[in-house]
Amino acid sequence: MMNRVASIAWHTFKESVRERVLYNLIVFALLLLGAAILFGSISVGIERIIIVNLGLSSIAVFGLMMAIFIGITLVWKEIDRRTIFSILSKPVRRAEFIFGKYAGLMLTLLINTAIMTAGFYLALFYVKRTLEFADLVALQAVYFILLQLAMVVGLALLFSCITTPVLAAVFTFSLYVIGNFLNDIRWFGQETGSPLVMKFTAAIYYLLPNFSNFNVIGQIAHGQRVPGYLLIANSFYALLYVAILLSAAILIFEQREFK
Amino acid sequence: MAAPMEFSATRWGRAVCFSFLIVSYVAVVFLQWGIDQRLSAQGRTGELLYATSGKTLRRLCLGHEGLLADIYWTRVVQYFGRKRLEHSRRFDLLGPLLSITTDLDPQLIIAYRFGAIFLAEKPPGGAGRPEEALQLLRRGIVANPDYWRLWQDLGFIYYWDLKDYPAAARAFQAGSERPGAEIWMKVLAASVAAGGGALSTSRLLWSQIYREAANDQIRKAAEEHLIALQAQEEINQLNSLLAHFRNQTGRGARSWAELVLAGHLREAPRDPTGVAYRIGPDERVALGPGSKVDLRLLQSD
Repeated sequence: MMNRVASIAWHTFKESVRERVLYNLIVFALLLLGAAILFGSISVGIERIIIVNLGLSSIAVFGLMMAIFIGITLVWKEIDRRTIFSILSKPVRRAEFIFGKYAGLMLTLLINTAIMTAGFYLALFYVKRTLEFADLVALQAVYFILLQLAMVVGLALLFSCITTPVLAAVFTFSLYVIGNFLNDIRWFGQETGSPLVMKFTAAIYYLLPNFSNFNVIGQIAHGQRVPGYLLIANSFYALLYVAILLSAAILIFEQREFK
Repeated sequence: MAAPMEFSATRWGRAVCFSFLIVSYVAVVFLQWGIDQRLSAQGRTGELLYATSGKTLRRLCLGHEGLLADIYWTRVVQYFGRKRLEHSRRFDLLGPLLSITTDLDPQLIIAYRFGAIFLAEKPPGGAGRPEEALQLLRRGIVANPDYWRLWQDLGFIYYWDLKDYPAAARAFQAGSERPGAEIWMKVLAASVAAGGGALSTSRLLWSQIYREAANDQIRKAAEEHLIALQAQEEINQLNSLLAHFRNQTGRGARSWAELVLAGHLREAPRDPTGVAYRIGPDERVALGPGSKVDLRLLQSD
């Protein structure tokens, strides 16, 4: 089983590379280099902070775009090209197909993020003329970005099994935005004082993926570490949520009929 | 025969297309320039804040508020720099821009420290709003309670801009009690409490700022203040000397040579920038022509 999943994952990764998605790395490099030079000359005292903020935000935004725009076509493309028939006619289970697709895109994102992280540290070295052990704290933010991306890919894959790419993109992005406002939604509910609204907003709060848990770039930019408990709790949160999303995707995909 | 002609026609078409693209782009640039000129003449390109609430912006950033805070801080620096260059006395957006910046990133210490200086300094050097500077620093202290240097800045503004020496001493004292505070904060607190407003206390403050300056602009400002303080102290001493000479001789000295002859001075005194002091018609010491000392810096003392 693992061989089949790995094979699909590798094929998905190779397809992403063939489609030149890693070209975003050039934009990322230019952005960081430009920012390092520009902000060094027009701002005061934030040369290091801006590189950390911009570097980590860029890793997050580029990763998010890739996760959504590749994720929404993962299943749909195979159906549209009718390659799904040849895949499923082989001894490949539908669940293995979904797992493989998910793992392939995560591999793409992992490599992309790793290269961007290396670029980020190069830019930081360019600005500071040195790198210290304390700078490694940024890796915690990179890890949280990867956890976010793992959840976004799960969402995109789920919607890719249900609907067209355009709608899947809209749904995934909407859930990502809502997932960043869940604390506010719950607070609004509490402010109304209505028990019904409070229960409803509390249900939404726990049901939808809470992406704001992973927003630590600001504190990392000031050299503050993420507490160990949050590292572990957020890792399990992302793991469980991905498991939920993939299970749902598999359930839907298993029921789907292809004509 | 047809193929080369087709090829030529395609090439010709591409060349026309490419030329059209370039010409159109140049035209767009000129048109935009014209529109900008017209809007500028109509006063429609004024100063814009874009957003009025940092807290709302923070919500809309989806976790990237740190980056936006950096951009807003850069806007603060650029806005302040432009106003200084224009010798403007109005810094209307400075306070709101700083407020948005620190709402977006409450840990951006530099925005509190430099922002307070920008706000407190008298026009045209700054906005001349020390009360707003105090508010900004107090917010900074609430957000960063262990950062003792914000207390130092608070005390400095009380001392320098508001001349509220007891409040300045209290701020220095409170800062000295924060974790990691330097021992000289206690010295500052004691000096200000004992001799607020004295030139020696001002010199102590500015010396500290000069030693700790993390920025060339602040170091230069501190150096200018220290030079002015030194010149003011020398002028005070020379005035005493002139008064003493008058008491001895029953008349005022007309030149430094008279004081040198009387043995009060070894040579004509010079200010810290190397220019000789002069004796004014009122028999008081003044800076010589061409002196680079700016005594106006001490007007708030």
